[in-house]
Amino acid sequence: MDMMEKKERRRALLTKVIFIILLLVIWEITAKAHVFGKRSEIVFPTLESIWAAFIRNFTFGYAGTSLWIYILNSMGLLLEGLCIGVGLAFILSGLSMVSKTIDTIFNLCVSIFDLLPGVALLPVVIVIFGVKPGVIVFLVVHAVLWPMSRNVLDGFKAVPEIYLEAGRNLGMGSAQLLFGVYIPAATTYIVSGLKVGWARAWRGLISAEMIFGIASSPGIGLFINQMRTNMNNAEMYATLIVIIIIGLIVQYGILNPIENATVKKWGMTK
Amino acid sequence: MTKMMKKMVALGLTLMMAVPAGAVYAGETEAAGDAELSLAYQYGLGYAAVTIAQQEGLIEKAYKEATGADLTITWNQMSSGADINTAIASGDLDAGFMGVAPAISGISKELGYKIFTNLCGQEHGMMTADESIQSFDDLIGSDNQIALVNIGSIQHIMLAMALDAQGYDAHALDSNIVAMKHPDGMAALLSGTVAAHLTSSPYIFQEQADDTLHAVGDIDKSYSKDTTFLVGIASETIYEENPALYNALVQGIAEGTAYLNENLEDAAAITSEFDGNSVEDEIEYLKKGSYSVETTGVEEIAQFMFANKFIDIDPGTYENLVFENVQGN
Repeated sequence: MDMMEKKERRRALLTKVIFIILLLVIWEITAKAHVFGKRSEIVFPTLESIWAAFIRNFTFGYAGTSLWIYILNSMGLLLEGLCIGVGLAFILSGLSMVSKTIDTIFNLCVSIFDLLPGVALLPVVIVIFGVKPGVIVFLVVHAVLWPMSRNVLDGFKAVPEIYLEAGRNLGMGSAQLLFGVYIPAATTYIVSGLKVGWARAWRGLISAEMIFGIASSPGIGLFINQMRTNMNNAEMYATLIVIIIIGLIVQYGILNPIENATVKKWGMTK
Repeated sequence: MTKMMKKMVALGLTLMMAVPAGAVYAGETEAAGDAELSLAYQYGLGYAAVTIAQQEGLIEKAYKEATGADLTITWNQMSSGADINTAIASGDLDAGFMGVAPAISGISKELGYKIFTNLCGQEHGMMTADESIQSFDDLIGSDNQIALVNIGSIQHIMLAMALDAQGYDAHALDSNIVAMKHPDGMAALLSGTVAAHLTSSPYIFQEQADDTLHAVGDIDKSYSKDTTFLVGIASETIYEENPALYNALVQGIAEGTAYLNENLEDAAAITSEFDGNSVEDEIEYLKKGSYSVETTGVEEIAQFMFANKFIDIDPGTYENLVFENVQGN
């Protein structure tokens, strides 16, 4: 890594840190100034009370059930939905490369279903699938599958014909072409699809949990709702911070390393 | 100062200017002159007296009679007691109408308001299509699911009160609950995807009319149709600083309630279009409710909520929950 690049990285990190500190300072000033009237502290709590609530969320939680339990339930459902969604996106996009008919139908499906918010499907999904954590998994799959497929399809279509011909000349069959040519050549698209898919899934999961809460398998969305219902705003904000932290961990701990190990390492992108 | 630092400072200043602009503080109302009132309401059968007061301008008339001055009311339609609680705590609302549970919860949090009137009691019940479910014993410890509107909602509290009254642990069925809006819960019950649905009017009437369903758990024995279900709340500020305005509010709702009890058919003609029912259905439904300005069982519900950890602060006695003009218990 040369000097320039190191300097650039340090600058980016500094910008991020200063920006976050600035936001926190503005928050604290607003909270301390009691701009929302006599009960400002309840509606717009200070950072100290949000921090205390953060700790309380994990130690006491809601009626004695720690936020950990809620996080574990949500993450379990999310992981299941993500795996199914990403897997399906690969399988269906791969099939689209093999058959023109499948390609046409699948493209139509992607265009139609990507427009439907998962939460709007909830009543139908409940009637069809029943009231089980599987409903949430279904909604996560719905959130991931379409944007992921759109990216994978675009990526596959952008593979230069010459690569495919080279592959065919080496005697590759359909499956070998998929894994040996299409997927590696489309990695840039696939990685960006993963990023979009993950963000959609994470938001979709929490919105669904806020509307539809299963008490035997409670998730983060339900926790936010319970805190909101009880006017525990500090606890509610603290939970939003937990959501952001989890999002950052996935972004920097999982997605960025994947990107670095593939497209960046292979020199496909900057 | 580096270029980047300058940019950050500029951004910071922009954000700082944006914050106070977003925080609009509700104006203080002047005593006995022209006044303004910001009210939150919701639609539904239980709010019929409010709808009548709104449509007939009863609060404005009461204010005019008492002071000779004009009252302008801003009616804010909101979708839940939690939203109303947030708005009233931030000083954006003077009064509102909501379920008794979020009102008790808000008072215990000292949001600066109390109950100024009762609105109604309604019918409630838990229905099932499963013949093998005849009592709580068939539900406790099973994986049968009970749909109700939200965990910690008044319907959840009703379930806990019924369990408690029949000698079970108040939270014995907590893990069987699935939170769903009333119409989704009804759809789930009818399609057989949940075992039971605990709901209130008008959904309970539609479920009672379905002879494939039967009631379970005797919810109405511990929380009858006369028990306070919806209330009106007003900020302590208007109560203390503008008695004329406060009294007009109380009187307007009292007149709306009296009109509803005395001219039910005319009232139904007014409220039906807002509730989305035919006039005939609206009359039927309104007849089954109990509309009074006197509260019933508020202190008992509040103490039950505290004792069973639905709220974590003691809401205190009846006097702490209602303003002095309110009668009942």
